[in-house]
Amino acid sequence: MNKTYWKGLDEKSQSPEFKTKANQEFPEDLPIEDFVGSEEVTGFKTGRRDFLKFLGFGVAAATLASCEAPVIKSIPYIDKPEDITPGVANWYASTFFDGNDFANILVKSREGRPIWIKGNSAYGITKGGLTPRINASVLDLYNGERLNFPTMEGAEATWTDVDANISKELKDIAKSGGKIRILSSTIASPSTLQAIELFKSKIGGDIELVQYDAVSYSAIRKANEKSFGKAIIPDYDFSKAKSIVSIDADFISNWIFPTKFQTEYANTRKPENGWMSRHFQFESVMTLTGANSDYRTMIKPSQHGLVAAAILKHVGGKDLGVSIPDEIDAAAKKAADSLKANKGESIVVAGTNDVAVQTILNAINDTLGNYGKTIDTSKPLMVKQGDDAKVEALVNDVIGGKIKGLILYNTNPVYSLPNGAEFGEALKSVPTSVSFSQFADESASKCKYVCPDHNYLESWNDYNIKLGNYAIQQPLIRPLFNTRQAQESLLVWAGEAERGDRESKAYYSFMQKTWEQYGFPAQSEYSTFTEYWNWSVHNGSSIEVAIPGETLTYTDATSGAANAISAMVAKTDGAKFEFATYVTGELGEGQYAANPWLQELPNAITKVTWDNYVTMNIQDACDVLGIAWDKDNQIAAYNALHIGQEEKAYVVTVKVGEKSLTLPVYPLPGQARGTVGIAVGYGRGTGDEKIGKAAYQVELDQTGAYQTKDGKRVPIGGNAFTLTSFENGQISNFASADISNTGEKYSLACTQTHHTIMGRTSVLKETDFNTYLAGDRNVYNHPHELHIHENGGGVHKPVGEIGLWDEHPVELVGHRWAMSVDLSSCNGCGVCIVACHSENNVPVVGKDEIRRSRDMHWLRMDRYFSSIEDEKRKKYDADYKNNEGFSYDNLEVPEESPEVVFMPMMCQHCNHAPCETVCPVAATTHSDEGLNMMAYNRCIGTRYCGNNCPYKVRRFNWFNYRDYKKFDKVNASHDEYARLVLNPDVVVRSRGVMEKCTFCVQRIQEGKLNAKSEMRTVVDGDVVTACADACPSGAITFGDWNDTSSAVNALSKNDRAYQALEEIGVKPNVYYQVKVRNVDIAKAEHSEEHEGH
Amino acid sequence: MHKESDIRIPLILGDKSYRDITDDIIRPIESKAPKGWYILISICGLFALWGIGCIVYLLGTGIGTWGLNKSVEWAWDITNFVWWVGIGHAGTLISAVLLLFRQKWRMAINRAAEAMTIFAVMMAGLFPLIHMGRLWVGYWVFPLPNQFGSMWVNFNSPLLWDVFAISTYFSVGLVFWYIGLIPDFATIRDRVTKPMSKKVYSILSFGWTGGAKAWNRFEIVSLVLAGLATPLVFSVHSIVSFDFATSVIPGWHTTIFPPYFVAGAVFSGFAMVQTLMLILRKAFKLEAYLHTKHVEYMNIVIITTGSIVGVAYITELFISWYSGVEYEAYAFLNRATGPYWWAYWSMMTCNVISPQLFWFKKLRTNLTFTFIMSIIVNIGMWFERFVIIVTSIHRDYVPSSWTYFHPTWVDIGVYVGTLGVFGVLYLLFARYFPVMPIAELKTILKSSGQNFKQGYGHGAGYWDKHAHHGHDDHSHAHVETHEVETPVIEKTIEEVTSPEVEAAKEVTTSTLEDNNDLKLFERIGTATESEKDDLKKISGIGPVLESKLNDIGIFTIAQISKLTKEDYEILNALTDSSTAKAENDDWAGQATQLMNEN
Repeated sequence: MNKTYWKGLDEKSQSPEFKTKANQEFPEDLPIEDFVGSEEVTGFKTGRRDFLKFLGFGVAAATLASCEAPVIKSIPYIDKPEDITPGVANWYASTFFDGNDFANILVKSREGRPIWIKGNSAYGITKGGLTPRINASVLDLYNGERLNFPTMEGAEATWTDVDANISKELKDIAKSGGKIRILSSTIASPSTLQAIELFKSKIGGDIELVQYDAVSYSAIRKANEKSFGKAIIPDYDFSKAKSIVSIDADFISNWIFPTKFQTEYANTRKPENGWMSRHFQFESVMTLTGANSDYRTMIKPSQHGLVAAAILKHVGGKDLGVSIPDEIDAAAKKAADSLKANKGESIVVAGTNDVAVQTILNAINDTLGNYGKTIDTSKPLMVKQGDDAKVEALVNDVIGGKIKGLILYNTNPVYSLPNGAEFGEALKSVPTSVSFSQFADESASKCKYVCPDHNYLESWNDYNIKLGNYAIQQPLIRPLFNTRQAQESLLVWAGEAERGDRESKAYYSFMQKTWEQYGFPAQSEYSTFTEYWNWSVHNGSSIEVAIPGETLTYTDATSGAANAISAMVAKTDGAKFEFATYVTGELGEGQYAANPWLQELPNAITKVTWDNYVTMNIQDACDVLGIAWDKDNQIAAYNALHIGQEEKAYVVTVKVGEKSLTLPVYPLPGQARGTVGIAVGYGRGTGDEKIGKAAYQVELDQTGAYQTKDGKRVPIGGNAFTLTSFENGQISNFASADISNTGEKYSLACTQTHHTIMGRTSVLKETDFNTYLAGDRNVYNHPHELHIHENGGGVHKPVGEIGLWDEHPVELVGHRWAMSVDLSSCNGCGVCIVACHSENNVPVVGKDEIRRSRDMHWLRMDRYFSSIEDEKRKKYDADYKNNEGFSYDNLEVPEESPEVVFMPMMCQHCNHAPCETVCPVAATTHSDEGLNMMAYNRCIGTRYCGNNCPYKVRRFNWFNYRDYKKFDKVNASHDEYARLVLNPDVVVRSRGVMEKCTFCVQRIQEGKLNAKSEMRTVVDGDVVTACADACPSGAITFGDWNDTSSAVNALSKNDRAYQALEEIGVKPNVYYQVKVRNVDIAKAEHSEEHEGH
Repeated sequence: MHKESDIRIPLILGDKSYRDITDDIIRPIESKAPKGWYILISICGLFALWGIGCIVYLLGTGIGTWGLNKSVEWAWDITNFVWWVGIGHAGTLISAVLLLFRQKWRMAINRAAEAMTIFAVMMAGLFPLIHMGRLWVGYWVFPLPNQFGSMWVNFNSPLLWDVFAISTYFSVGLVFWYIGLIPDFATIRDRVTKPMSKKVYSILSFGWTGGAKAWNRFEIVSLVLAGLATPLVFSVHSIVSFDFATSVIPGWHTTIFPPYFVAGAVFSGFAMVQTLMLILRKAFKLEAYLHTKHVEYMNIVIITTGSIVGVAYITELFISWYSGVEYEAYAFLNRATGPYWWAYWSMMTCNVISPQLFWFKKLRTNLTFTFIMSIIVNIGMWFERFVIIVTSIHRDYVPSSWTYFHPTWVDIGVYVGTLGVFGVLYLLFARYFPVMPIAELKTILKSSGQNFKQGYGHGAGYWDKHAHHGHDDHSHAHVETHEVETPVIEKTIEEVTSPEVEAAKEVTTSTLEDNNDLKLFERIGTATESEKDDLKKISGIGPVLESKLNDIGIFTIAQISKLTKEDYEILNALTDSSTAKAENDDWAGQATQLMNEN
């Protein structure tokens, strides 16, 4: 039915007036004539000048209108995911294991993007343990050079084709009786092992899994097989060890299970406990662990056995009858005395990959009664399962052409094997070679098929890192690329699963089944599997399963050890230099060579970034390089070898057997005479493989990648794995070496070029444990006093009570955020630096900028070596007249075997901040919560604040790091994927503004808002800065100082608390806790009487 | 009663008339610029362009193109800033403070020194601008009303005071300088013939009439501005020194800075005046107005301020030890013996040791030596600022941040560029502006010019001879009203009666010569500069002699052709040439021949 609508009564009635107007657009006449005909208009002329004016205005207006600030589009959710609130982070428990490092972790996710990682201290085995590598691994997820498709003979292929070909080829090989091998890094995943077993049985034929650790510990397993009948790595518990002896074992950052050991070790370094571990370290290159030790003895790598034998003898064990040099014997005796005094509460460990040395260690630990107490063989660790002998056999088979099918999982043998190049050539002729690598790396690029695996943040997995301990890894993000989980690939080839898309749950279901079958029945806490599974995923780890450990009995296996030790010594006998590889906490075994955060993280000891180098004793370096060495004028040698900015390092060639590496020299205090060290993990991508831009050198001005003549990019550093060798079934990392000066020079970029603290005890305070125990803080932590005239007489007044200005903020009103840093617990690992980097979007600036002392680290780890002049300095301070022979120059010279202190230094948030008063535009101001704030928008970049900062913690944006082409190789934010890692709570600073540590003001705000939404006051623990959150050793405490019950308030008042540079009256909100060493003699302290400053 | 000491050398040498002063000073403006000027301005222009290019690159790319780093966040930029500000001190000191102290010798140098000040302050002001990370929001340093709520500048910041101090100093200096220029521009306006120049100079001279009332106001304004400018001389560099003195950095945190900086600024400012004026007097043949005595006076200022600076350095060293503050002590120890020892000892040598050589009269009256010294002092003063800024922050409290500063080519380029821009501006000034205050110089002619001392000033011949030119010279009219006139009159009266002066007259330049001078022109006739011929065509007359002849008033070949033997002798006496030269060369004969040829 049609309805008729009328506009009005006129239309309804169709009046004549309406009819006449109906066809006119404008019912009334428009007064056009009135307008056009008016005199004003007709009299108006547009003259030439007016025309030009209009034209000019028009052009100017158009130009202005076309100047537009760049628009960055953001698209809101149309259907908001239930569990995501924009602006609020989600935290998920997961697990990190890359075949090397293991940690129970918590991942911060923003709008579905994982952006930050910390240790899970509530659940799991590592209790918050973390290494910089784990912390930085989130950036690797977003590496734009990850493979986006499977490849077949180097060309892009489809999963369907690849699957069909591989399963067919493998089955053919199996049928024809050919050997198929899976070479992988340590697999600690029960479900993965289950999948491999299934794969093996389905494909049939001669298939074997060979596990391989690039940095091998297989000698420990071998030695335990001899001593206990089982090839295990026992669980060490450092938390109970009152005496620790380590022979070249860097257990804080690398050895076996650092994420577990470092947290345990930190517990033994808190003097408030009333006891402290006494830590002896024997090593050639100074490692992070050595730097933390109380007594460090420099030995050669070939002397590891001698040290072990000497300790065994002195603790009352068997005398192996080897002749031991006196200085080693003396040091070993001292260590042994300490061990004997702490029987059952001590640990002796060695990093040596030599079976004989490890059997001697077993004997020592047995003599000391450590088994069953600090060392648990009944519940061994599942890390480092590599067996060097098997690896060597496989490698020889591959080279010999005896392997028909080879699958590489999570390993890069072409890079890390001693004979990697040879292996790589052979790999090309293996008929069916498959790699699961995420990158077309050195090994994968030589394989016929590459079936790229997911990143660990994109995939499910489970781990059994210690007998009875299970952990779960869950995906945080949908796979970014067209990749597939390796386990799923194996299941697909075995015909056990259907090939799925990116959301495929094939392996997830498989894993769940495994847990239902094995894990669920073994526990009794949860009644249903769903409940058990959900809580396990939620916590990132399941409850400890009560598997009764097997008690192993020790039998002495040291017979023949004496010969082996002598053989070790003989190996380098007569050589001028001994070479040994070592692992850095930053780059590890090389998996992270393309991670700009880790490349830019300064090495804990040398503070070098973006490079590796030859560490040498300075006298040796002078010797090799032809520089005069004068014992009484050592500064001359240091100046000659000085590294920094325009001064370049000398380059030497280290020749080991037939192989050699040419690298710059870093004169390292604490390096044993006659030894040199080169870190592994560098020299990735010699064939210009696509493994990430940051793995390659850039030209010194960073305008482009540094290229060789044939157009290949040049890797950063040299590959020290090439200098290792298979020896007696083990990978040996030391050998005799020839060092020759090349006469060339090379720029090394260090964030710190000055070695010593220059006797500045108001910056850094340290003492020994006995002095601390004596209880008089005035002896080791004398508060700074001023002698002032008051009420007609002279009085001493603590400097904190004197101020030019009013207190700000007011004590006990509102919040006052403060931090405490325990120099004793801090081991200098650098996790805090990376944590700060990723939390606060700190720009990566690359080698050239670091070389120019322009690192952007908001938090830096200052490292100081003790000086040869420290003792004289104390005398000099105490009595000006008695300064005989004191020299400021020598104060700059580190001792040959120095003590080391690490001091995290970030913005001190001074309450009387010198930076605030000098800013002309008040861009940096004080909040009433005690924060020194920085308004980037207001900053005009005079840098006056930076100059006037006594701690030099302010960082200036010298360039537009985000966009300027100079940084496109190093700064991840040039990469559209890597931008996803940015923390949306923190603005990316523009060029020309100052930035610095904010005490993670975004976290403070979040904590306050959370408390507010829960209608409660902020309590201690609501707000934690990124550095404190990530610190594995609990050295950093953050909180509200005005909350008298807070931990930081208590710490600020304890005997060890002091403020750096207290006497200049800036009243920082950061308190340091005096470093305490467990050494015999009060080496460090004298009563401070700095009056009248 | 004013009494002039005999031994005091007059401030204007030679027989200068009022007209001579005008001619001498305006000559570079009226005549074509010599080749040297074009060469110099081209060189400076190239440097300036290079510097501008560096600045454009700097602004486009970031402050990182300089060699600064996390510890040394100021280096060449602020060094150059303070250096240029320091140089900019002399001009105002000379024109204001010396004016108030009635130091008449300042008149030879004050115009050029003020120009130097203006340009130096412009160069100085450039550095705080371009050293900002975000120049485009640099206007936030001004307390302007804004839309940022209660956002205001930080009045605690010395850098803010710098903004006020420098901008005030610059504006007062510019106004002072310009006001002084007005009568001289009027003089030029009245003399130039080209319409374009006439128009420009008449705009520049603000319609100056030269009336008594105008002169009266001129004097008042000058005096008021001098009074305003005087405290600025001391405030500007004091405030600049606060940038450092109020900080917490050892080596910066020093209460001695304000007086030490002011003395240093005067020190470097005078050195720069010396450098520029010694070139200028030579190039523009102004030796008569700026002679050894002026240079010596300036050298005395240099030695005084140099010694103050030296004492300050030593005081700093002493206090750093005496204070017992380990950081202070180390800062100064490090300066002298640390990685920057070379900068420190350059500074000490150039600023403390070398000026002491001026205690020897022979050296302080030696112009070549003075010229070299003036450059050394400026090098030294650059190093002083560099030492203060860079050596203090490159090693301050926390040794982990200790580092070194390496300048980049952009650092150097910008600095060289400012030298270039400064040079261009100064050359333009020298070419188009009167480099000495014409009007003011005339006020001291009577008390110091030899002519007047010898009685010329009292209506006698020489003056009348040029009477037909006299009216276009407005400055003459004000002579009688000028403040310094009174003592002059007193003095001339005294001169006439004083027997000593009479005696002195006899032994100094002879009156005979002057009489001869008159006779000479009666014979050969007068000519003006506009009729000038190239006298160098006559063999025996080189550029030097030509200018001497010009000075006397011989400009044309025709004049020379009328010379007689008697005239040659007079000429020889006047030009200090050896006798017989003109006669031997037969200038008159040559001239006649040349005239016949044409």
